[in-house]
Amino acid sequence: MSGASRTRSRSAGIDRSIHLVRDVVDHEVVDAHQLPCGSVDDLELELDPRDGLRPVALLIGPGAWQRRLPSWLAVIARWIAGSAEARVPWSEIAYIGERVALRRTAEELGLGSADRRLGRWIARIPGG
Amino acid sequence: MLELFLGILTAMGGFVEIGELTFAVNAGSKFGYGLLWVAAVGTIGIIVYGEMAGRVAAVRGQPVFNLIRERVGFDAGLVTLVAAVAVNVLTCAAEIGAIALVWQLFVDWPYRAWVAVAFVFLALAVWVLPFQWIERVFGLGGLLLVVFLAVAVMEAPDLAEVGAAFMPRMPALESTQEYLLYAYYSVALLSSIMLPYEVYFYSSGAVEDRWKPADVRRNRLIVVLGFVLGSLLCVALIIVGSQFFGPRHVEPQLPGVVATSAAAHFGVAGLLIAIGGMFFAFAGAAIETALSAAYGIAQFFGWPWGRFRPPREASRFTITWLAVFALATAVILTGVDPVSVVEYSIVFSVVILPLTYLPLLLVAGDRRIMGEYANGPIARALGWLYMGIVTVAALAAIPLLILTHGGQG
Repeated sequence: MSGASRTRSRSAGIDRSIHLVRDVVDHEVVDAHQLPCGSVDDLELELDPRDGLRPVALLIGPGAWQRRLPSWLAVIARWIAGSAEARVPWSEIAYIGERVALRRTAEELGLGSADRRLGRWIARIPGG
Repeated sequence: MLELFLGILTAMGGFVEIGELTFAVNAGSKFGYGLLWVAAVGTIGIIVYGEMAGRVAAVRGQPVFNLIRERVGFDAGLVTLVAAVAVNVLTCAAEIGAIALVWQLFVDWPYRAWVAVAFVFLALAVWVLPFQWIERVFGLGGLLLVVFLAVAVMEAPDLAEVGAAFMPRMPALESTQEYLLYAYYSVALLSSIMLPYEVYFYSSGAVEDRWKPADVRRNRLIVVLGFVLGSLLCVALIIVGSQFFGPRHVEPQLPGVVATSAAAHFGVAGLLIAIGGMFFAFAGAAIETALSAAYGIAQFFGWPWGRFRPPREASRFTITWLAVFALATAVILTGVDPVSVVEYSIVFSVVILPLTYLPLLLVAGDRRIMGEYANGPIARALGWLYMGIVTVAALAAIPLLILTHGGQG
């Protein structure tokens, strides 16, 4: 994606210019309950004949950030973290502030599933 | 008011850990008061950046590793993260080894058995205690180290000479090798005072304690008073090194040896207080480094984190800090000398300081983000000055480590 892409994100209900690289990429994502559910690891963009490049989705998860690494490092990272990746449509964004806030819960959007899976194990330990 | 008071005391009690203890006492033993000014420089530095980290966390609710990723991007951020986690694990390992050495003074079990006990103790403490208790139990327990302040006073140092030593100056030494060693000790002492985990932990702690913009003033008082009082302990250790160990030609490597100075003045009570203070200080630092590693990873990848959440709701974070304790314990169980681990962790820490501080400085100074709470002229000037200082220290650290054969001269 282009370093200079700007967009007017009417779909997110904000009528102001957002700098994708500065304000979206690498920012923390929180769900409808303010629960952290990843960082914006990559963006899916679409070429619109009228607007130019337009963001379509947030890509979140090891699979998304591994594409940003040199290939030898990506292999190691895949071995450690797997390559799961979630795609969150741009229309799911509630607002973009210090964090990117989503309209629905992490579970509904398929985010943070590793945490929930491990959480069920930890819940069995006293005090967990 | 009580909160503020406790905040200052825990910041003071949590100031010293094994690296600082070792380097401060040895710096005193080798160079007398020659490195006191470095302690002052380091203290102002940690105040400047600790204040910024706390202020950004209070105003934006964002801890350091969120900022690092936002500001320096994924690639450079990942390099910082990997390096920060590595030095946190090493520092944690050194503290665990030091705890085992301290316990061994009381009950002569094998060292490795005490290392295993320390692992279980630390993991249980973090699992069971709420965040504020972790801060307070170990921070206030670490205050027992004020016994070294008393030892320093009893050693009756020449106050005029001590005062003069706070002005930056280069002592007259015999050889180039001595100057290199002096430079190495300067960098190491500076690094041990400005260890990056302190900033990671402090800013994440501010988010754990749910600080709001109204806490900015409290943050400033805690950082300034707490760290100045904490650095008094460091100054006391340098004086003890200079007055007590220097003339006896002792360069203490073990915490128990450092404690003998308290025994010499205050008998068994002094010895017990010194050792008790060391235990709380080392255990507190072990916990802070393990949590800092987990905070960093969780914040970088956007996982739910924090001790304010039950472990099941921050499961990857929980497993990460447990894994850091386990890894640090494994490092120490190999039989590597905790004091050499300290040296390496401290020297490599200084290398990541610029990468940790730069994003903080950029965000804290950005009016668009921080509004009225953005850096004023003093914070801005000191921030850039220290950015320069830590960059020079970072560039010099590894060459000095090699040239002095790890501080052996």
